[in-house]
Amino acid sequence: MSRKYRIVLAGNPNCGKTTIFNCLTGARQHVGNYPGVTVESKTGEFMLGEDEIEIIDIPGVYSLSSSSPEEGVAFEELTKPGIDLIMNVIDSSIPQRSLYLSTQLAELHIPMLIVFNMSDEAKKKGLKFNIPKLQSYFGCSIVQTVGSRGDGIDMLKTALAESLLHLEDHDVPKLTYGADVDDAIRELVEWIEPAMTDRIRHIPARFFAIKLLEKDTCVMRLPEFQNLDAIIDAQITHLYARHAIAAETFMADCRYAMISGACRDAISFTQERRREISDKIDAVVTNQWIGLPLFFVIMYLMFWFTFACAAPMTDGIECLFAWIQGLIERFWSPDAQPVLRSLLIDGVIHGVGGVVVFLPNILFLFLAIAFLEDTGYMARAAFVMDGIMRKFDLQGKSFVPLVLGFGCNVPAIMATRSIESERDRRTTVMVLPLMSCGARLPIYALLIPAFFAAKYQAFVMFLIYAIGVAFAMLAARILKSTLFKGDGEVYLMELPPYRVPTAKSILLHMWDRGVMYLKKAGTIILGVSVLLFIANNFPEKKTFDADYGAQIMAVAADVSLSAEEQSAAFKRIERMRRAEIAEHTISGRVGKLLEPVFRPIGFDWRVTTAAISALAAKEIFVSQLGILYAEDVESDGDGEDDQQEPLRQQLRRAYTPLQGFCMMLFCLLSIPCLATLAVIRRELNSWKWMFFEAAGLFGLAYATTFIVYQIGLLLKIGADYLL
Amino acid sequence: MNDEKPPAMKTGASASPASVPEECSLAELPVGQSAVIVNVKPSLRGKKKFADVGIVPGSQLQMEAHAPFGGLLRIRIMESSLSIHRDDAANIIIRRQDRP
Repeated sequence: MSRKYRIVLAGNPNCGKTTIFNCLTGARQHVGNYPGVTVESKTGEFMLGEDEIEIIDIPGVYSLSSSSPEEGVAFEELTKPGIDLIMNVIDSSIPQRSLYLSTQLAELHIPMLIVFNMSDEAKKKGLKFNIPKLQSYFGCSIVQTVGSRGDGIDMLKTALAESLLHLEDHDVPKLTYGADVDDAIRELVEWIEPAMTDRIRHIPARFFAIKLLEKDTCVMRLPEFQNLDAIIDAQITHLYARHAIAAETFMADCRYAMISGACRDAISFTQERRREISDKIDAVVTNQWIGLPLFFVIMYLMFWFTFACAAPMTDGIECLFAWIQGLIERFWSPDAQPVLRSLLIDGVIHGVGGVVVFLPNILFLFLAIAFLEDTGYMARAAFVMDGIMRKFDLQGKSFVPLVLGFGCNVPAIMATRSIESERDRRTTVMVLPLMSCGARLPIYALLIPAFFAAKYQAFVMFLIYAIGVAFAMLAARILKSTLFKGDGEVYLMELPPYRVPTAKSILLHMWDRGVMYLKKAGTIILGVSVLLFIANNFPEKKTFDADYGAQIMAVAADVSLSAEEQSAAFKRIERMRRAEIAEHTISGRVGKLLEPVFRPIGFDWRVTTAAISALAAKEIFVSQLGILYAEDVESDGDGEDDQQEPLRQQLRRAYTPLQGFCMMLFCLLSIPCLATLAVIRRELNSWKWMFFEAAGLFGLAYATTFIVYQIGLLLKIGADYLL
Repeated sequence: MNDEKPPAMKTGASASPASVPEECSLAELPVGQSAVIVNVKPSLRGKKKFADVGIVPGSQLQMEAHAPFGGLLRIRIMESSLSIHRDDAANIIIRRQDRP
C-alpha cells in the first residue's frame, strides 16, 4: 500500500543539506561552500519503494529560534503540524557544534533520522563514532554519508524506509540538562499544558518550557503564554541565582555540557589533520596584510577569465548567426513576404542573436563565481573585506551578495537574507542593483569596442564596474546615515574549511545559468524584439514630405558632379528618406516625444527607445539598437562574416565616444530590470520601497549622466574616436 | 559546569612566556594563542546567538587571525572557524592558556 510522507531536512548552515536533498530527489538546487546558500525552503519529491516522499529543504540554522529571517523560516517550517519525520543532517567532522541543533530538534518529539554527513572528513580527522551509543542517546537511527560523492545514500534510504515503518511507536529521547534544570522544566510544563491551544498542541509542552527558560523571543510572543511571565521569571531567577549565568546563554551552556558528555562516551578522537592544508592556505588568504591585495587580484582574474576565455566562443556564435542569416537571405527572396522576412532577419536574428552572442561571457562569469563559492573563498572574501565595507557602513556579510550581484541581481538580492541586521539587509538590497549584472555586460561588450581603441577597452570596462561599486558604497553610506539609521548589530559568520569543488556541482550551476539565459533570450527578449520590430517599422510612411525621387533625378542629371560626389549625394538623400520613415513609426514617435528629456544626457530618439525598452531586461538595449540599425547594416553588404562589427561601425558614425560612455553609464545606474524590481518588492515586502528604488535609480542615472555629458561637452572630452 | 570539552584541541602557535594564566578580553588575545572562556559579560549583544555556536563559559578557543583594518577577528571554537567583531569580543572574558 503506498503512502505519502512529509519530511523536513534540518541542520546547521553549510552542513550539506542541499547536497543530500539533491541526492535523494535528483534535483539540482544550487550548493556552495559557505553558510547560507539556501535562503528559502525548497520542496522536492521522490519515491521510496511504493511510498511517495515529500521532502523540504530549509535554510541552515545553528539553533531553533528566530533571530534572522532564515532562522524564522526554519523555525516556522519545523513547528508546522503534519511533519512525519525530521532528517537532521550534521557535519560529522564537527560533531559537538552540529549536535547542538539535534538536541533542540529532539525536543520536538517528532521521529528523527540523523545523517552524519561529510563522514570522509570526519575520518580524515581521526573521529570515530560509537553509532549504537549515539543512536540510543538521541532515540533515532544514524546514517553516515558523504553527500558530495553520493556515498551512503542507499543506506540512508533503507534507514528512512525503516524509520517510516515505526512512526507510531518511535523512541522519545530522554534528554537531561541537570537535576535543577529538569525540575524547572517539569514545573513549567504543568503551567504550560493548560494554556496550550489546538493551534500549537502538536508541539510538546516541554519544548516550550525550554524555550521560555532561555527567553526565546519568538516563543515568548505567543499569545498562549502571556500570563505566565511571573512563573517563568520565578524559575529563571531561581535557576540563575545558583549558576550565576545569563538566561539567554544558560540553556546553551546546558546543551553543550550534555553533548560534551555524549561525545566523551561515544566519540573518540585520534588526531587532527583535516584543517592543516586549509590553515596553511588561510595563513596567506586571510592574512592581515596580504589578504586584501590578494582579493583584488582574484577579482581581477575573475573578470579577465570571463572575457578572455569567452572571446573565441563569442566569435563562433557570431559566425553561426551570420551563417543562418546568410542562409535565409539566400533562400528567401526579398519579394516573397517581405515583412515576415524582415521580421525574421532584423527582428529575431538581430534582436535575439545579438543577445545570445554573449552567452559564453555569462557562462564563464557564473563558472568563476561558482568556483569561488564552492571552494569556500567567498566567506574569506567577506572576512577580509569587512574592514573596508564598514567604512561605508556596510559589513562583511553584505559582501557575498554584492559579488553575486555581478552575476545576476535577482539571486543576489535573495542572498541578503543571511544578513541578520535588518537595516544592513535593507541597505544591501537597495544598493545591489548598482552592481553591474551579467545582463548589462552585452551593452558594454557592444559599445566599448565601438567607441574606444583596444588599449583603452579594458580600462573603460573596469571603470564602468568601478563606478557601479563606488555608487553602491556611497549610496549605502547615505542610506545608513539617513533612512536606515541606528546602532550596529552583532556579526557572526562561520568560515568553512576549504573544499575541492566537485566538477559536477560547478558545471551544473553554470549549465543552469546558461539555460536560464537562453530561456530569457527565447521568451522575454524574443517577444520584446518582435514587439520592438513592429514598433520600429509601423506605421509605414506612404507619402513623404520631400520628393526624394526628384532629388535623386536632379543629382543624377547634374553633370558638374564627379562620380564620388554623386554617390555621396545619393547616400545623403537615402539617409534622409530613411530618417523620415523611422520617425514616422511608433518608436520614432515615442522617441521623438521623449527626446527633449533625454537630449541633455546625449541620447537621440533611437537610444531613448532602447533605454526605455531596456527596463524589461537590460539585454534589450542591445537588441533594440541591433534592430534599429539593422537595415543600414544590410545596405553595407558586409554583414555576413561578423554580426556585431557593422553595427559598431554604424554606432561610431552616429554617436561620439562621449555619448557611448553616457549610454553605458545610464544603463549601469538605472533600473536593471523588472525582475529585480519584483524581487526587491518581495524581499522588502513593500511597494513603497520598490517605487522609491525605481525612482531613485532613475534619478541617479539621469543626474549622473547629465553631469558627465554636459561637462564632457564643455571640455570637449570624447568628441572623437580615441586612438 | 562544563570545564571539559573533549575532544581537546591542539594548538599550533608560539607559546606565551607568561607563567601565570591571566584574564583578559578576547579582543586582546594575540594571534596564535589559546584561551578558555571564563565569562560572557551581560553587555554582550546577541548573547544567545554567540552561545548557540559554542561561545559559553568553559569553551576552549584559539585566535586564528585578525582581518585587515582591524574590525573582525577569526577564532576557532568547537573545531570550526568563526569570525566575530572586535567590539563583541571585548565583552568575552577569557583566561589565556599556557602550553607546555
